[in-house]
Amino acid sequence: MKRISVDIGGTFTDCFFVWDDLYVDAKALTTHHNLALGFNEALDLACSRAGLDRATVLSEVDSVRYATTLGTNALIERKGPKVAAIVTHGFEDTIPLSRGRGYGEGLDYTMQQNLPAAERPDPIVPRSMIRSVKERMNSAGKVVAPLDAEDVRKMVRELVNAGAEAIVVSLVNATENPAHELAVQEIILDEFPPHELGAIPVLLGHQVSGRKGEYVRATSTIIDGFLHEIMFHALSQLSNNLRDSGYDKPMLVIHNSGGMAQMNSTDALQTIHSGPIAGVSAAEHLSTETGLGHVISTDMGGTSFDIGLVPEGGVKHYDFLPTIDRWLVSVPMVHLDTLGAGGGSIASYDRIHNSIKIGPESAGSNPGPACYDRGGLRPTVTDADLLLGYLDPDNYANGYIKLNPRRSRFAIEEALADHLDMEVLDIARVIKDGVDEQMAIGIGKELRVRGYLPEDFTMLAYGGNGPLHACGIARHAGIKRVLAPPFSSVFSACGAGNMKQLHFHERGVHVTMYNATTRALYDRYEDFNAVVAELEARGREDLVRQGFDAADVRHRLEVDMRYGNQLLTQAVALEDLSRIDGVGDVLEIIKTFGDVYSHRFGAASAAPEAGIRCSTVRVASYVDGDVVNFEPLDSGGERTEPTPVARRDVHFIGHEDALDTPVYDQDALTHERVIHGPAIVTTENTTFLVEPGWRLEPTRQGAVWFLQD
Amino acid sequence: MTAVHENPSRVLTPQEQEWVDKFMDETTLFLGPDPEIMRDHGIAPRSDHEELAIAAGVDRLEVERIRKRIAGALDEGYEMCEAQGAAPGAKWGDLTTAIYTASGDVSYLSCHGVIAFSAILHHPIRYIMKYWKDEPTVGINPGDGFIHNDARFGNVHNTDQSMIMPVMRDGAIIAWVAATIHEGENGACEPGGMPSGSETPFDDGLRMSPFKIVESGELRRDLLTFLQHSVRDPKLQLADLKVKITAVRKIMERVDAVIDEVGVDTFVAALRTTVEDVEVEVRRRISELPDGTYRFDQFMDSTLKENILIKFACKITIKGDQMTADLRGTGPEILNRAINSPLCSVKSMFMQAILAFWWPDLPRCTSAMSCIEIISDEGTWADASYDAPMGQSLQASFRGFSAFQALYSRMSFSTPHKYSNVVANWFNQINTFLWGGVTQHGDMVGNLCADLNGMPGGAKPFRDGEDSVSPLFCAMADTAEQEVMEEEVPFMQLVSKRLVRDNMGFGKFNGGMGYEMIVAAEGTPQWGFMTVTSGAKFSSVYGMYGGYGCGTYPLAMVKGTNVYEHIRRDPSKFDLSIEKVMNEQPFEDGRYSTYHMGLQFDIAKDGELYMISQGAGGGYGDPLERLPESVVRDAELGRITQKVAEEIFGVRYDPTNFRLDVEGTEAARQAAREARLRRGRPFAEFCEEFVTPEPPESLHYYGSWGSDTDDITATVFTIDGPERVSAPLAELPIVMIPDRREVRIAELEARVLELEATSGVEVKRLA
Repeated sequence: MKRISVDIGGTFTDCFFVWDDLYVDAKALTTHHNLALGFNEALDLACSRAGLDRATVLSEVDSVRYATTLGTNALIERKGPKVAAIVTHGFEDTIPLSRGRGYGEGLDYTMQQNLPAAERPDPIVPRSMIRSVKERMNSAGKVVAPLDAEDVRKMVRELVNAGAEAIVVSLVNATENPAHELAVQEIILDEFPPHELGAIPVLLGHQVSGRKGEYVRATSTIIDGFLHEIMFHALSQLSNNLRDSGYDKPMLVIHNSGGMAQMNSTDALQTIHSGPIAGVSAAEHLSTETGLGHVISTDMGGTSFDIGLVPEGGVKHYDFLPTIDRWLVSVPMVHLDTLGAGGGSIASYDRIHNSIKIGPESAGSNPGPACYDRGGLRPTVTDADLLLGYLDPDNYANGYIKLNPRRSRFAIEEALADHLDMEVLDIARVIKDGVDEQMAIGIGKELRVRGYLPEDFTMLAYGGNGPLHACGIARHAGIKRVLAPPFSSVFSACGAGNMKQLHFHERGVHVTMYNATTRALYDRYEDFNAVVAELEARGREDLVRQGFDAADVRHRLEVDMRYGNQLLTQAVALEDLSRIDGVGDVLEIIKTFGDVYSHRFGAASAAPEAGIRCSTVRVASYVDGDVVNFEPLDSGGERTEPTPVARRDVHFIGHEDALDTPVYDQDALTHERVIHGPAIVTTENTTFLVEPGWRLEPTRQGAVWFLQD
Repeated sequence: MTAVHENPSRVLTPQEQEWVDKFMDETTLFLGPDPEIMRDHGIAPRSDHEELAIAAGVDRLEVERIRKRIAGALDEGYEMCEAQGAAPGAKWGDLTTAIYTASGDVSYLSCHGVIAFSAILHHPIRYIMKYWKDEPTVGINPGDGFIHNDARFGNVHNTDQSMIMPVMRDGAIIAWVAATIHEGENGACEPGGMPSGSETPFDDGLRMSPFKIVESGELRRDLLTFLQHSVRDPKLQLADLKVKITAVRKIMERVDAVIDEVGVDTFVAALRTTVEDVEVEVRRRISELPDGTYRFDQFMDSTLKENILIKFACKITIKGDQMTADLRGTGPEILNRAINSPLCSVKSMFMQAILAFWWPDLPRCTSAMSCIEIISDEGTWADASYDAPMGQSLQASFRGFSAFQALYSRMSFSTPHKYSNVVANWFNQINTFLWGGVTQHGDMVGNLCADLNGMPGGAKPFRDGEDSVSPLFCAMADTAEQEVMEEEVPFMQLVSKRLVRDNMGFGKFNGGMGYEMIVAAEGTPQWGFMTVTSGAKFSSVYGMYGGYGCGTYPLAMVKGTNVYEHIRRDPSKFDLSIEKVMNEQPFEDGRYSTYHMGLQFDIAKDGELYMISQGAGGGYGDPLERLPESVVRDAELGRITQKVAEEIFGVRYDPTNFRLDVEGTEAARQAAREARLRRGRPFAEFCEEFVTPEPPESLHYYGSWGSDTDDITATVFTIDGPERVSAPLAELPIVMIPDRREVRIAELEARVLELEATSGVEVKRLA
């Protein structure tokens, strides 16, 4: 297997390079003006580490895979074409009104709660670029009002004259019957044929999302339309760069569904958050390969703390209505919970309770923590970490950022010390411990609402601040084992290296598995099976189009189910069932749902008496491929203590006085070594803080265990 | 103490009094709401346990950690309710979870949800503690759970149901955990749980005083069956009861873990200090406000059956760190109409205003209102007595919210530090359709559309209000997806969300706009709609500092036709808006009517149109000061008509290209200002001309007439018809309004007699 995987983040471009049995990681600064430059630099570094040249590598690798934040950045910066929308008569303001709650999507709860300050974000499609057409389907897809073609032509011309550069068509109940959306598309193509220079991209809602919900489907389609051009050009730029360097295969793009596809089979929306989700995918693969059991992946950076859930046994957790930037959308995305807690989280005085509040405000990376000396005046978690002695002021972020502890001290004194009548170091302890506990609460909540317990999980800690706070978070969460995973500095890129080519297709259905009123079980098997067959065919076509043999395509059937009229639809994977052939299969589906539901919420909460519904059928179509081989995480054998490169006084939670603490460097992290806390290990990418009562046991491929003594 | 009679010469000895009390205890008919509990919104005094726990020393930082963990647990519970709940209210955010001290004071609420739901539960908790704790047939044991919904015992309205469970250690109650969901259907006289047609308390549906439905961890099937049997949607009743129980238990697991870790005393101290801290902070914030008296009176235009004008009076006085809200002058309760509210429900909306609009940064705690004195006499529609129907109690309680919201904007206008924006009044009515009947799936249901959650926001001093945004009672509440609704219920919104032109509170900054909804049933054997809103004749929302209030809005209907058939035959007729349908009347066989917004449950045949609109947020500042460019932009976007641009905003532009006529605008505005000066009168002269000793004769008015009187004016109905009375509240006769059908029949009979007399034809009457 020869493979290049790249995760282009906001600051760094991470590269994970597989050359048969050789695995190499490399990083370079992201070059926003031309992503190819950063990519080339990272790849060159990886090649030099492998003793190869770029041209040779690119001509021989079987694939190049990208996870990218391009789409996220474009959304935030609002770089995109002027998108117009055509909606159903009577629904003209559905998009701008954003379900009433659109003012708060993507904000922290303090802003969500502050109704007098509510302000919706500037729309991607302003109201002046929305037109309705006279048409209506009912919930079963029956035509209530036929499409008025002349009305459509008039609206399209108005939009084009108003400057529309892309048109989104999202009509009510089009998932049940897309005839009107297709007809509108035909009219637009007739008015503005593709061969003419004035041709306009047209995106249809039912093709972007098969799920019910006119607002979220329209928003998803709008974001796709908005990002399409910029992503196409940026990815083409990368693709051309590869081609110029000798790579002649299609580039693969990582999806937030946990799979990947060629560029020509990728919606822009599917790329959002694909980097962090590739990290979750890596965690899943690591767990499967090494027998880690239940895993919770955590990525703590400067401004956020991403939590991914990887239970043992391949159970998948998705968000079907995730928030992207400030918008609620409809796309099956691997579940990822993001807390506003990181090194930049600001600590402030809580006058009401005479206490300290940490976050949700963040100093971000600019101005950043006070110690960055870039104008930040408010104390942050990183300031506390620095004062407690955890960080080396001269070697933070591999020396890219010099830290000024006097700024940290001053910020804490000014903002907190006088109010609280406490010493600066005591306050720093409270901040460090407080943020650890907040993240632990987040992990605990994340697990418990899905029926799991933190103590049953291994925590993976990566990201710049992950290994620094790992012991503290684990202690509060009741987690016994923490692993800084192999290739942790490029863990998401590593995950991209494992992904399968995978496509999801789903369709909203109204299947009553058990009708509580008539006390009847579902018996229209042909209808159900026809939907599954259609979705399988679409998935198969996607993969065949990308060059796979139809015989290699595999499918996994999932259904979203609920009791009565619940909002919740629990995703249920039907591992051994792809068609319903009799009442036994219906009862098996009901049982599987009941098991999943009871695990999540407790057996007493299941309410099959209220009826059992299936609202969505989903098929994952994929082909298996080669994967990265993780080495066993238990190296065994005797371990010895390395020799520290320095010692310094460090303040730990639960210890009144500073402890004389050994400091190690990267060289200490070999699998023959053990480092007992208190200790600090500083590497070029992060700092490992080993708290008293914990020990560090490095294993192979750069993985490091934090274990309780 | 209970006296045998009122003769002062027969004073009982202590022994006699003991006998009498014992007799009375043994012969109590039933335990209704306890005024001692229901009139008190202050936090309870520290219990002995709390005194000891706090005296032992409170580590503020540890308390903060406990709070964080409890907050996490409550959010877990909230998410579970939202995910698992079957009620539309649960799905779209109308719920909360909270933890209470042993005495029942809310110490912490979930980050999301309806503050008022939890802020009122101290009443039922205190009731349970007072009456059921030591009652041999009830008692409180670990694993028990109490259900409750009756507003008379402390609830916003009867459609919300709570599950309340004790946290116990060593046999003692040390806290309570509860979850409340707006369930909707409750077996009332109309579907959906908020009957506008209720005329007696028994029409309000389930009236659950707090009772034990979970015993030692087991849900009692006999009681569950009774509840399911009593409502239209037994599936909903079952499913959501299970959801609340599960959520509360999950929260309690987390709370138990905290107690195990920090100890009972520290936990108890943490809950109590949180409550006390907030009270101290509220006093401090009150002292920041300028001393003075601030008044905000509102008027409701309907009983939801008849057109009336009834006053909601509110006067806040601040002196130092003391605040008093005086509701005297408010109109009397109407004993056979649904608009009455218990005082606790009104107070819960005061709390909503305080915690969501005054000080949204404040921890969500009962004590936020504890130190505010409320003066109110029982017997008004905002402080209704036990025998008053309360199906639409929100009419009074939401006006309580509006009063507090508006008054704070005034009180805080000149304070240097703002905790959030000054904002004109939020829209305050539930403009949505309630519905009920048999679905396309054969299920009997009754509930409402989540569109009520799209309440337009008031304008700010620097920006227009948000169009149909979250409702005043719940941040981040959701108006939902129509496609999802249509899967479940047999009607379509043919117009779902379209902002209505000119539907805003005009001002220098405009209030947010509201959207119209046009619905029609389709494919159902039995279906009906109702609406429960006031403001069709007299605006329910006022503007601020020169801004306009919300306009009035009718319910419009087209009956006797099937628009689906019309549209099938002629697709061009699928061109609907209230304005267009009512002005152009495109369906030839239809009967077109408008109505005030209190429609009792009305049977809807397939294709009959029901049309309503959300109102608007209040405007801020003088419309003549609005940027002319903004006015033209509004016109170009179709948000306002040219007529409004010209007449309200004094702006002139070319309607063909929307080019501003700068000079024309300046001239028009100058003329408008001069016209104002001409219309202006010295205040005394104005009073001379406009102030009358009593309301217009034709107006059925309720409430004080003017501010400087203890008398309440009311219209009562005698055998001779309506009669105006004016007296102190306690001396007013019972106010009841005759059945409007009987009134109508009497009118028609009189007309028949008149026609008989004039035409000589004798009408044959059935025996």
